[in-house]
Amino acid sequence: MTTIRLTVNGRAIEADVQPRTHLADFLREQQLLTGTNLGCEHGVCGACTLEIDGAPARSCITYAIDCDGASVRTIEGFGGDAPMAALRAAFSAEHALQCGYCTPGMLVTARDIVIRLPGVPEDRIRKELSGNLCRCTGYAGIVRAIRAVMAQSGTPSGPSLASTEPFASTAP
Amino acid sequence: MTPILPAYSLMDHDIARARPLPTTGVGASLQRKEDRRFLAGEGEFVGNIKLPGMLHVAFARSAVAHGRILAVHKPAGFEDAVFTMADLEAGSPPVGPIRVLSSLPGFKPSSQWPLARDKVRQVGEPIAMCVAASRAEAEDIADAVVADIEDLPAVVDMLEARDAPPALVHEEWGDNIFLETLVEGGLKGDAFEALKRGAAVKVHRRLRTARQSMAPMEGRGVVCSWNTRLDQLEMHTAAQMPHINRAGLSETLGIDQASIRVIAPDVGGGFGYKGILLPEEICLAWLTRHIGRPVKWIEDRREQLIANTNCREHHYDITVYADARGRLLAIDCDSVIDSGAYSSYPFSACLEAAQVGSILPGPYKMEAFRCRTWSVSTNKPPILPYRGVARAGVCFAIETMVDAAARAAGVEPHEARLASLIEADEMPYDNITRKHFDSGDYPEAIRRAMQAIDLPRWRARQGAAEPDGRLIGVGHAVFCEQAAHGTSVYYGWGIPMVPGHEQCGARMTPDGRLELRIGAQSHGQSLETTLAQVANEILGIDPDHVRLVHGDTGMTPYSTGTWGSRSMVMSGGAVAEACALMVERVRDIAAHLFQVPLDQVMLAQGRVSDRAGGHSLTLAELAHVWYRQPQRLPPGVNPAGLEVIGGYKARVDTGTFSYACHAVAVAVDPGTGAVELLDYVIVEDAGTLVNPMVVDGQIYGGTAQGIGTALFEEMRYDSQGQPLASTLADYMLPGATEVPAPRIIHMETPSPYTTFGQKGMGEGGAIAPGAAIANAVNDALRPLGAELTELPMSPRRVMAAIAASRAGGVIGSPHAAKGQAA
Amino acid sequence: MKAPVFDFTRALSVADAVALLADTARFTKPLAGGQSLGPMLNLRVAFPEHLIGVRQIESLRQAFIDPANGDLVLGAAVPHAQIEDGLIPDVTQGLLAHVAANIAYRAVRNRGTVGGSLAHADPAADWVNTMPLLGARMVAVGLAGEREIDARTFMTGPFTTALDEHELLVAVRVPALGKNARWGYVKFCRKPGEFAEAVGGVLIDRARGIGRLVMGATDGAPIVLEESAERVRAASSDSAVAAHWTDARLSAAIDAAGIGHDPYSAQLHLTMARRAIAVALA
Repeated sequence: MTTIRLTVNGRAIEADVQPRTHLADFLREQQLLTGTNLGCEHGVCGACTLEIDGAPARSCITYAIDCDGASVRTIEGFGGDAPMAALRAAFSAEHALQCGYCTPGMLVTARDIVIRLPGVPEDRIRKELSGNLCRCTGYAGIVRAIRAVMAQSGTPSGPSLASTEPFASTAP
Repeated sequence: MTPILPAYSLMDHDIARARPLPTTGVGASLQRKEDRRFLAGEGEFVGNIKLPGMLHVAFARSAVAHGRILAVHKPAGFEDAVFTMADLEAGSPPVGPIRVLSSLPGFKPSSQWPLARDKVRQVGEPIAMCVAASRAEAEDIADAVVADIEDLPAVVDMLEARDAPPALVHEEWGDNIFLETLVEGGLKGDAFEALKRGAAVKVHRRLRTARQSMAPMEGRGVVCSWNTRLDQLEMHTAAQMPHINRAGLSETLGIDQASIRVIAPDVGGGFGYKGILLPEEICLAWLTRHIGRPVKWIEDRREQLIANTNCREHHYDITVYADARGRLLAIDCDSVIDSGAYSSYPFSACLEAAQVGSILPGPYKMEAFRCRTWSVSTNKPPILPYRGVARAGVCFAIETMVDAAARAAGVEPHEARLASLIEADEMPYDNITRKHFDSGDYPEAIRRAMQAIDLPRWRARQGAAEPDGRLIGVGHAVFCEQAAHGTSVYYGWGIPMVPGHEQCGARMTPDGRLELRIGAQSHGQSLETTLAQVANEILGIDPDHVRLVHGDTGMTPYSTGTWGSRSMVMSGGAVAEACALMVERVRDIAAHLFQVPLDQVMLAQGRVSDRAGGHSLTLAELAHVWYRQPQRLPPGVNPAGLEVIGGYKARVDTGTFSYACHAVAVAVDPGTGAVELLDYVIVEDAGTLVNPMVVDGQIYGGTAQGIGTALFEEMRYDSQGQPLASTLADYMLPGATEVPAPRIIHMETPSPYTTFGQKGMGEGGAIAPGAAIANAVNDALRPLGAELTELPMSPRRVMAAIAASRAGGVIGSPHAAKGQAA
Repeated sequence: MKAPVFDFTRALSVADAVALLADTARFTKPLAGGQSLGPMLNLRVAFPEHLIGVRQIESLRQAFIDPANGDLVLGAAVPHAQIEDGLIPDVTQGLLAHVAANIAYRAVRNRGTVGGSLAHADPAADWVNTMPLLGARMVAVGLAGEREIDARTFMTGPFTTALDEHELLVAVRVPALGKNARWGYVKFCRKPGEFAEAVGGVLIDRARGIGRLVMGATDGAPIVLEESAERVRAASSDSAVAAHWTDARLSAAIDAAGIGHDPYSAQLHLTMARRAIAVALA
């Protein structure tokens, strides 16, 4: 056990952790913050995405001990956040969730997209979403919700740029 | 039973459109009641449940596909933390195996012990259960368990398993065949042979669909404890069919069903994967009682991919006969299903084959049909019905064959379909396998799809070379989605779980709110919202005042659960019946209270009043009188009060028939084999739409899964039966960049047999993409003389098909016969 | 799917880290962003006994231009996202940013590092193919001091490098491209963010005498085809440099690398190389 100090959802925390405990397990089991869901525990599905020091990160392949000194924000920590409030409303209006399991990670990624990439076209939104898997919605509502929030904040999602690239660097 | 409600008759499509859109009841795109908790991160998934003193379980699993267990060694110092089947059998009563028997003649049963006994029959089969204070420590123990296993040859390929098995999965059978069936219809014998000889078009193919993993975002998981006060097992489990899990636990544990309570909390997607009794559930149920502590097992992604159930591995050796216009005359097919190592609970090893045999004709008319099926056992995980079940494979088979026949006849594929489809004026129609089509206009769906995809535009584009060298193709597929299957259907298929009548318990609370209790389970289907809309439609109650209780055997009526696109028909029907009964109870109380004849009492918009206008009460005021001021009620009022059970079974219970036509345009990159979807159109008829937003969500989501089937998803095994995908980097699920936003066009032909005309439609999206995209890819590859006959159409398979055509016109993928490579 | 037991020590300086890595009693490995090692730990396919956290060593997080020669000195713990976002000096006409932007997913790029990816040496990853294309040099520090390793000899096989067991990769020196240099970098992935099945990279910098083609995501180190400086300098155009990369030559190199037995993979590598050339010349 090693003692770490970090900020979780704005609250200073001191806790003993085993080096092998990943951040998601630390939050879920020791801090009782169960909003962060585990989908694959190998960094592919995106369900466990949360914010570390203001940027989205995978909590399943980040060890809590390596977050000593960091500021962590989980889905439970966006209470007064206007972009998250707008996304939550848009997710509901656009039916961007069904079973709800991918939703916390999807919201964290969606918030990063609307803040970091205002006004980007739909194909860019989809590429930015490629690290968050959803098995229910077919992504239609999720993409619409992100576009709706961009439009509300005065940065409507622009036209697609895909056709201007001679060869997509990824396929299909 | 005769429904209390008259069947809705006002839902003719055009009339429905002319009406103002409802805002709360049937037909409203109401935002979901479920959303708030999930958006807040407050969903209660089984992984979130923590009980005092709870211990964690990990399983030591077989590393080999097939072998005889010689010994299992518990690690020194952990003898009390490791349990094998011998321990479970030593209890009283002893734990027994899972045995799921088809009632069809010739079926051979398998015994699946919760922990392997004598033999292991698949990689990942649990051998020992290890318990510790944390999951990580339990995994440490599991890693230290040593099993001495004598390797046996692995039975990996289903055709080999049937024809030239290297071993027997279940020695006592004498072969590897769970069940062989034959379905025939129309012309037989010499008449069928004469038809074959006279047919202008005959096309033959060997087609294959890959084994898939259903891969909901949340895996399975179990938390259980023994409640000593109630002397009852309490199991929280990520499950779609909690009442069925209870029955299965009772059978294997040897305890009565009332001593078991199964609760499915928030469940992170099912798609069929969670419609099974798991060996792990049995193990944990035994363990919690044995050690007197709550225990938890959460399936991780590797367990989900390699150890637990798969789906969808079909082979078709199929010949289609058509006339010179491409009109279907007959189908003759041998189909093999890889059912894996065991017959799973409750659907058995043979549901898939039963559907193949009876649904292969699709929505087509023909003169002769013959389909022989083999459900084959291999050293791979058992299969379960995945969204669409066999229909996805069947649609791929029949629809690629119709296209092949059309190509042979020299007609556009949609023309061949229009010549063969059941017509709207023939409905209801009993087809060649005696499927009872309830309603619909299939040709119109194709015509609208062709118009929407704009076939001439793509044909014109095909005439000009693409600047990037890609090949353009356009294709489509049509299917019927028999849903909400009733008693006769499942009985006829020999499935040991036969659905019957569905109930809903409804209680008006003293403050005038409504609790609805159903035995189905909602795990993304939005039943908390849509069933509240049904209640609103009947009772006028605000949907916000309706609370759905589901997924808990202790709180709800028995139900076979949520599967087969049945909930909106069955639970929706039951809720409507219960609410209609509640209307009568409310009116009865009001009539006594108002002192007016019953026929003078009406209920509208959540208020009960007399026609003369002298009295009016809200539901809350009436409930308050009933519960809290009974002194105001005169004698003679119905003492049963504001608590009812409504039951439902469709007037004709052979199932509703939703249907759709998916049309898609693709670009195929001949340099890489990559397929891009350029446009995707879905014309869907699901009858009356209770919540159009939710219906569209089901179509989008199903289609995304179907695109996975078409292009990405494949559980591959090597020749030793080792799974080659143990992570989501190997087993590829489609992401936002792989799934386009389909354009959905609705037709709304109400079912004549259901409460509101609604049809089950939860699976349809997943059925057609494999077929539609295959037809589009083959259309694109036509100039090269290449054709794909296997799903998924991975870049490797596309390139192989192109290479084969260049090498000498071998039609189809070289992998089609073996299927393990690629 | 939980990691096996390991110890963890955070190093705050290179000297600190090198001293810790010198421990021969235990299997010790550096941990940077952990985006490759993390999954391997959780899957229990890697069993280090002691991980040395190097992510927060300040000097590893720096990126600057060496005034002596104009090289970009890219600290090993710089996360991909910083490169993607243009937060480091650009000496490659956008090549580093283009490559960074297409590594895995943003959440991974925020944490995953250049040095971690290089040291992990997955043939299908991007930096192990990009750095040889650029002619970069790896800067490694061990108990014996600092040394530089040419990127073209850095990777010695799948998941193996020229780094000594106890050495720490501290930086990558990326030479600045000439102002008329042209590049192409394409990869084939089943899905964005997935590991590549084939990578093609082309760099033509006639002023500096560089004509280089890389085919990556092989079974080991990338294939590097290097034109002689004299020939490149003598070429009348970039197309003339690229004309040397005939299908026959590329296919021979693919065969020599042992990929030829799989016609699909061979075709993909050829296609990616051709497309990288087309992008460079476009």
